[in-house]
Amino acid sequence: MTDTITAPTIEYLLLSPLLVVFGAAIVGVLVEAFAPRYLRAAFQVPLTLLSLVAAFALVIFVVVKDGVPNKAAAMGAVAADGPALFIWGTILLLAFVSVLLIGDDFVPSAVAVPGSVEEERAVSEGAAHTEVYPLVLFAVGGMLLFAASNDLLVMFVALEVMSLPLYMLCGLARRRRLLSQEAAMKYFLLGAFSSAFFLYGTALLYGYAGSIDLSKISTSLSSVGGQDSLLFIGAAVLGVGLFFKIGAVPFQMWKPDVYQGAPTPITALMASGTLVAAFGALLRVFWVALGNLEWDWSPVVWAVAILTMVVGAILAITQTDIKRMLAYSSIAHAGFILTAVVATAGAKQNSLALSGILFYLVAYGLTTVGAFGVVTMVRDPGGEAWHLSRWAGLGKRSPKLAMVLAFFLLAMAGIPLTSGFFAKYAVFSAAVSGGAVALVVVGVVASAIAAFFYVRVIVLMFFSDPAADGPSIVMPIATRGVVGFAALATVVLGVFPQPVLDLASKAAQSLFVR
Amino acid sequence: MPSLNDFGHDPLWISIIKAVVIFVFLVLAVLFGVWTERKLISRMQHRYGPNRAGKFGLLQSVADGLKMGLKEDLTPSGVDKVLYLVAPLILVVPAFISYSIIPFGPVVSMFGVKTPLQLTDLPVAVLLVLAMASLGVYGIVLAGWASRSPYAILGGLRSTAQVISYEIAMGLSFVAVFLYAGTLSTSEIVAKQAGGGTLDIGSLTIPMPSWYAIQLIPSFLIYVLTMLGETNRVPFDLPEGEGELVAGFHTEYSSSLKFALIMMAEYVNVFVVSGLSITLFLGGWRAPWPISLWDGANHGWWPLLWFFIKLVIVFGFFVWVRAALPRVRYDQLMALGWKVLIPLNLVWILLVATFRALRVDKGPVVFTMLAIIVIGALAVYFYFDTANQRRREARAQEIQQDFETLADAPALGGFPVPPLDLPHYHGVHSSKEVTSGSN
Amino acid sequence: MELYVPILVLAVLAAGFAVFSVGIAPFTGPKRWNRAKLDAYECGIEPTPQPIGGGRFPLKYMITAMLFIVFDIEIIFLYPWAVTFDKLGVFGLVEMVLFIVTVLVAYAYVWRRRGLDWD
Repeated sequence: MTDTITAPTIEYLLLSPLLVVFGAAIVGVLVEAFAPRYLRAAFQVPLTLLSLVAAFALVIFVVVKDGVPNKAAAMGAVAADGPALFIWGTILLLAFVSVLLIGDDFVPSAVAVPGSVEEERAVSEGAAHTEVYPLVLFAVGGMLLFAASNDLLVMFVALEVMSLPLYMLCGLARRRRLLSQEAAMKYFLLGAFSSAFFLYGTALLYGYAGSIDLSKISTSLSSVGGQDSLLFIGAAVLGVGLFFKIGAVPFQMWKPDVYQGAPTPITALMASGTLVAAFGALLRVFWVALGNLEWDWSPVVWAVAILTMVVGAILAITQTDIKRMLAYSSIAHAGFILTAVVATAGAKQNSLALSGILFYLVAYGLTTVGAFGVVTMVRDPGGEAWHLSRWAGLGKRSPKLAMVLAFFLLAMAGIPLTSGFFAKYAVFSAAVSGGAVALVVVGVVASAIAAFFYVRVIVLMFFSDPAADGPSIVMPIATRGVVGFAALATVVLGVFPQPVLDLASKAAQSLFVR
Repeated sequence: MPSLNDFGHDPLWISIIKAVVIFVFLVLAVLFGVWTERKLISRMQHRYGPNRAGKFGLLQSVADGLKMGLKEDLTPSGVDKVLYLVAPLILVVPAFISYSIIPFGPVVSMFGVKTPLQLTDLPVAVLLVLAMASLGVYGIVLAGWASRSPYAILGGLRSTAQVISYEIAMGLSFVAVFLYAGTLSTSEIVAKQAGGGTLDIGSLTIPMPSWYAIQLIPSFLIYVLTMLGETNRVPFDLPEGEGELVAGFHTEYSSSLKFALIMMAEYVNVFVVSGLSITLFLGGWRAPWPISLWDGANHGWWPLLWFFIKLVIVFGFFVWVRAALPRVRYDQLMALGWKVLIPLNLVWILLVATFRALRVDKGPVVFTMLAIIVIGALAVYFYFDTANQRRREARAQEIQQDFETLADAPALGGFPVPPLDLPHYHGVHSSKEVTSGSN
Repeated sequence: MELYVPILVLAVLAAGFAVFSVGIAPFTGPKRWNRAKLDAYECGIEPTPQPIGGGRFPLKYMITAMLFIVFDIEIIFLYPWAVTFDKLGVFGLVEMVLFIVTVLVAYAYVWRRRGLDWD
């Protein structure tokens, strides 16, 4: 009884970006609790933005000071390795610009029934859910941890920390409230299912390997025999949970509804940050834990990638809601990234594929945040002009804005001189050198289909007459800044991508720690 | 002195004997507990209490039980049949199970087998009691839910909210005990309360009391409060507040043995929390101080007697409280549970832990922690104290204002209050008294 | 495992007794059918119709239930910590202070938003 338990060591500096984000979220809750209502926003906005900037600076500081660490931190629970640090930087950047988009998109009182007396009273009292900011910070913290977790249980906790605030945020849209609440409900129910799948997979893999540590699962693949059904079912079920989060077909159903219903800044955060984090986790599970099982899972991922690309691109054509269209395009893009996930072979090939994926995530994340930023600017009397017909003739009423959106859409389609081109090139070339030529052919065809509906919007904007009572353009300074920044990034990454490509390949060089 | 290692070696027949004895003990304890309560409370209220059935009315509960068995077994037409029947079972069974880890005494020789006077012990024994208490809550919820009657549903919800609220405070009040004892096993906790140890102040050596009730007074006081709340006893018997909710969650269990089971579960729960308070705080089956000077006091079968005496005293406390205190309001009940007991408990746990850490490490970290805890607790206390004070004053002012506006204007909805200076208030009225009914 | 067998014995005993009581009750008493007797009891007034499958109930209770889960889990963390406290030493103390303070932040939020008030 006299023996003592040795205290675990924690690399505080390495984990400081995480700690800053979570700490700021907790301070945000305290502000909500104790600051008077009229002061809350004045505290929350700078707190949120500053903490994201500080975390981003810390990521850079860590890399500059110590270089990329080669072993997992916090007793093997969190792997802040090269790809993770790159993903952290990406998520923090995307979260920062998404937070800047937050304007008057949120409901004054979420508990009030839409159109009820309580709601009117909340509006007249000037109530506001400034909880949005701490919730976003919790979600961002969860994303950071999700992409860097080195064991399945930490990954599950991170998944929940990331998802729970997002479920809530989805239901807080000020306009089209029933749609928003429906979206939150759907997201919550399906998300809860997928979390349960993830946890079940974790349990099965633990039953197989006797460990939840990713690298120990990997080593156990060669040593444990005779329990293959546990392993296969576990890996498949775990995969369901992860594919759900990236919105791969056939687990994509939530994405259009949720993207459509959620407040647009939150949609931007989900479309960029969540996707990045989910790919980080997905790669970690499939490459680190199940890397030696590649012959078993790669056909499945092949099928999923093909389905995702084709279904996403085809269904996007039929959409009339701009946010739903962007949601389906996000599904298709998840499919494009999946082509590089399957392209594993030796370490060199892997690092090539990984750097392609990392570059794609940055490029696509910035473009999509910019596109959603433009969506928030085009307003009807009842909120955002969601129906595509309302966008007709925008090029004549507001040429600059229409040009920017057209540029974002071209980038998503992968036209040269935009970031999307190099992103797709990086991913597809990695896939080709990994031997997935057929997949790339499908990807190119799907890109062509996707280009059709992107171009259709552009045609609609520039070559049809504006409606008489067309939407008005609202340009808050922050949103304008975000859209401008995203456009600039799309250009720079499209013309002069080398520095970011170098950074990505440097981050990917050491691959994931084991 | 039994420890965990002494358990798990009983042959099955010894376990069965012990289980039957505990079961019979509890059933009898319920029967005579009801009698004791009624007798004691009536004495406190200057009445006789039951005195018809048997000598001193001793058989009153037996007669009541028989009567319940012979009543018509009503199942109201709207109820959810399955849940309605299952709910009493869910209430009763966990209550009994909790008693399996209450230690009654040391290792004795029973029919030639060395065995402790305790059904069994687990490394997580106290957790078992909490788990069973949580299971019992299902019985309350389902009884209220299945009854399909507004009183039952409201009573069930209230009861549940109350029990789970007080369960938190109860669970927290144990933590300090575990900090001191270093185990969750009940037999070992009793063993830890055997020797008091000494406190050295200079050259003085003062023997310390060994009961955790004295060493950890705040924990014990909180536990006493929560044990009243957890068992829905006066002054926290709101679920059965007959003035507002008829009989709460068991309104529709109007007669017959189902009601008897619910009643029995409530009393067994009282004995469970009493037994737990004895085990964790009052030295368990060990003899109290003057008796403990006699060497044989803590050996053999004698401890059964000490345990029983302690049980009677704690149960007497329950009755005493019932006779002495009025029922609290529901908002007061929840405020006490959530706003007082929980924060107090957490701060107390941290203080105990810090002082315990101070014994091994007098480093700056521990002192910093101590400072953080003390300053934090004080800051929170003063903040809420002033906030509450302000709110109370504002509220009093508001009431005063309301009173003033309404007193003059019955038309606004105020009560038509007669002027306070009417002559008959001062005993100067002259008319002769009117007998009631004559009008 | 042997530690749990006696608990099972007592559980079987208690469950047997309870099932027996519930089961025997319809046979020991008289049966006099009366429609009014079978209605839900509401002090003599016509019983309120109750929706099948239960109706809506005040949200307050769900908030209480959710807070209960939060604090119950906190207790579950506190127990092993308390038992091994002497082995953990200062590290355990610091961690637990941090943990409790974090929970208290949420607690303060709920308190200030009047989640603990009953009217």
